[in-house]
Amino acid sequence: MEAEIKWLDNPEIFRVNQLPAHSDHHFYRNYVEWQQHKSSFEQSLDGQWQFKFAQTPQERVKDFYKVDFDASNFGHIKVPSEIELSDYTQNNYINTLMPWEGKIFRRPAYALSQDDPEEGSFSEGKDNTVGLYLKHFDLNDELRGKQIRVRFEGVERSMYLWLNGHFIGYAEDSFTPSEFDLTPYIQDEDNVIAVEVFKHSTASWIEDQDMFRFSGIFRSVELLAQPVTHLEDFTLKPRVADNYRDGELAIDLAFVGEQAGNVHLVVKDHDGKTLLDETKPVTEKVTVEPHEFKDVHLWDNHDPYLYQLLIEVKDAKGNLLELVPYQFGFRRIEISPEHVVLLNGKRLIINGVNRHEWDDHRGRSVTMKDMLSDIHTFKENNINAVRTCHYPDQIPWYYLCDQNGIYMMAENNLESHATWQKMGAVEPSYNVPGSVPQWREVVVDRARSNYEFFKNHTAILFWSLGNESFAGDNLVAMQQFYKEHDDSRLVHYEGVCHTHDYSDQIPSLNKENYLPQGETHDYRDELSDVESWMYLPPKQVEEYLKNNPDKPFMECEYMHDMGNSVGGMGSYIKLLDKYPQYFGGFIWDFIDQALQVKDPISGQMVMRYGGDFDDRHSDYEFSGDGLMFADRTPKPAMQEVRYYYGLHK
Amino acid sequence: MAYTNKMHVIYGDGTLGLGGDNFHYIFSYEKGGLESLKLNGKEWLYRVPTPTFWRATTDNDRGSGFNIKSAQWLAADTFSKCLNDQTDLVVDDRHFDHLPVAPETNKFTNHETANKVKITFTYETLTVPATKVTVTYVVGATGQINVSAHYFGHEDLPGLPVFGLRFIMPTLATGFDYEGLSGETYPDRMAGARHGKYHVDGLPVTPYLVPQENGMHMETGQLSITREITENNADHSAEPFSLKISQEDQPFNFSCLPYTAEELESATHIEELPLARRTVLVMAGAVRGVGGIDSWGADVEKQYHIPADQDIEFSFIINPTK
Repeated sequence: MEAEIKWLDNPEIFRVNQLPAHSDHHFYRNYVEWQQHKSSFEQSLDGQWQFKFAQTPQERVKDFYKVDFDASNFGHIKVPSEIELSDYTQNNYINTLMPWEGKIFRRPAYALSQDDPEEGSFSEGKDNTVGLYLKHFDLNDELRGKQIRVRFEGVERSMYLWLNGHFIGYAEDSFTPSEFDLTPYIQDEDNVIAVEVFKHSTASWIEDQDMFRFSGIFRSVELLAQPVTHLEDFTLKPRVADNYRDGELAIDLAFVGEQAGNVHLVVKDHDGKTLLDETKPVTEKVTVEPHEFKDVHLWDNHDPYLYQLLIEVKDAKGNLLELVPYQFGFRRIEISPEHVVLLNGKRLIINGVNRHEWDDHRGRSVTMKDMLSDIHTFKENNINAVRTCHYPDQIPWYYLCDQNGIYMMAENNLESHATWQKMGAVEPSYNVPGSVPQWREVVVDRARSNYEFFKNHTAILFWSLGNESFAGDNLVAMQQFYKEHDDSRLVHYEGVCHTHDYSDQIPSLNKENYLPQGETHDYRDELSDVESWMYLPPKQVEEYLKNNPDKPFMECEYMHDMGNSVGGMGSYIKLLDKYPQYFGGFIWDFIDQALQVKDPISGQMVMRYGGDFDDRHSDYEFSGDGLMFADRTPKPAMQEVRYYYGLHK
Repeated sequence: MAYTNKMHVIYGDGTLGLGGDNFHYIFSYEKGGLESLKLNGKEWLYRVPTPTFWRATTDNDRGSGFNIKSAQWLAADTFSKCLNDQTDLVVDDRHFDHLPVAPETNKFTNHETANKVKITFTYETLTVPATKVTVTYVVGATGQINVSAHYFGHEDLPGLPVFGLRFIMPTLATGFDYEGLSGETYPDRMAGARHGKYHVDGLPVTPYLVPQENGMHMETGQLSITREITENNADHSAEPFSLKISQEDQPFNFSCLPYTAEELESATHIEELPLARRTVLVMAGAVRGVGGIDSWGADVEKQYHIPADQDIEFSFIINPTK
């Protein structure tokens, strides 16, 4: 198969030869490797790569992936990093409108007409910058002779991959790991991997997040070797019984490679006591039937108790092939008949923040140090929940939330507000994904990936379909995916409120401000388990809560912390005492998005925001709305958050 | 003046001077206010204190259009108009119904004294319609000054961003100490603050991406601002010296920054602010909340507005110390 640039224009082509998403577990050769957090099955490709930048698809070097290509005029770039932050192309911050606003007229393929594929929209886009990446490598000894895959943890926005001159595959979905099998073409030595990264494709319409618009391989890349028998995927199903005291655990496992030998599963508590010990022969699918856990130690924010699961995969002779450790907790989230959200049978209150991945020098290419610092800030300030706005985060963040009892709203990589929101008005005439058939599979795939990678994380209490993407049959399909695969979490989506008439529930709202002109199908009962709004003032929140609320209420974004803000937080918090159906919200947001640069006039390191790079159209300082300054020092408002969030810990 | 417990009163032709062991004050009839506040030989004023009505627009103010609705308060803050003919002076029991200048004062000597002097300046706001503000200084024999300000409400004016008195000091303070609330507080954002004694090093400007109102401290009992240098060319000392302010009846609100609201207003980045060289103390009688519902339209909650149609009065005490 050959790569085709036209895929950039086609919303129905979003993954080519990608391996299916699967649980995000690590696997080690043995116990020593686990203790040292270093798997010999893994080889990092992070570091210097050769790099060539092109302003447009037409100007790019097209045969750079060939083995005999002379790359002597290529420069270098660090992987992971943002291309813009190496000054190859302009930084730009823009909120709602698309980054080509005022420069290129575009409409999403098939949005206005089923006969309108918008061919060439991106493959010939004058704004579609391209990064060409090359990396030469030898396989580590431990990886040789094995099945080898490569994992790109995050690439904005569309990538084509070659190995040793052979086309391997294509991926979109910038914030989700993409894996490809390299086995057919891998050599022990002198491999060359080639990646072509386009800033824009049809995916740009549904990745219109309010943020600096970057591109490039901005998360880590690694090779993964698998032993002859490999645990490809597993699903943990810890359940809490109706008495909220006992639990049970069922596990589904899926193996690839030789179907031989045994799998040995052990679950231990903190004291090292073994609570489950089972051995089963390896087959393609292995099921551990529900196993009872008496007097289970429940997991929550105060006491994020995790049990240790150890999965040993052994060959027929009993030799250990791989060790998969995983920690999980028992917790139960549900909605009571009184429309109150319960965690482990008790009312759940979300003292949350929205968190973009941000580093003032590295953009969205955040580090473990950033993540650890954020967790520390959460704990210090009584923040008990995070919404991964508006895309999946780096994998370690989910583990940190499990370990620290941070409730997660795990959001899909989906935001399309430019296609339905025009200077504040609801105008969905060319909305995608909406109900446009050609945009259905791409968003369901995003729901699937989010679920499959992160399904075993105890911290995730809510799946979120995305942000500000209006509503439509395609979002219903995403919701149905979650409902069909996971009955242990709630599904959240806010944008559906733009299809329902709230005259009875929130009489003081002006319909013109939230409903589109003309008829719209009411999706309220098809998209979200909870009633979610953003920035609804306290008085109107109270109106909803007073008028026989039929769903629990939350604010997925509130307390817009732009500049000197967070005044009047008490008006929201006191509603928690009056109305059990109110379960809190997520402050917008955790950290300012600003870039630290050297000021040529003063010579000082200073913060720069949208428009400071001659980037137009821009939304200027509108990305400066965090509880933290971009350098991770807290804003003065943090003491207010610590106080109010401490009232309902 | 060691032979008396009273203060020395100097009837000038454009000013009124008041002096004691460790203080000397000059009220200027021309400039319309306290021109010199000298304690232990150190000058504390760069220009006469003026009523202040503007705060540098916050992102939330901009989003809700408050800066546009209340724009005339920026002019009123920038330019001060003192009604000199309405300046009112009482020396002990003697009331001057017009300012005491020559020839009327020719009968005085260089040995005039008093126990208590009260001087009131009246300002007309540069708003349409205009309203008035009075600022009264009551000076006791020890040099203690009870300062009070009164805003006369007017129903045809837009809501105020702030109401207070602005003192600009000739040099940069090295820091300040206060007894009040932790951190930066506003009426709608002070629940999380802890009461205590705090030291602030230097005059930090909170580095919001776009410079804006910052650094307010609500409900303060005591404030001491410390400087080390003066602009007096003959002053070779670098010993720290302090100005002490305490509450009168009610706690006061203040911010102590190196910039005026206008300077903050005109910068789009922190580094565009001028070199810090003075100390700007705002003693605020009424502070508007910062809001937080959103940054594109929602107003600050009503109870945290400063309605223009109601009178505002506040006071505090400046204590000379040895």
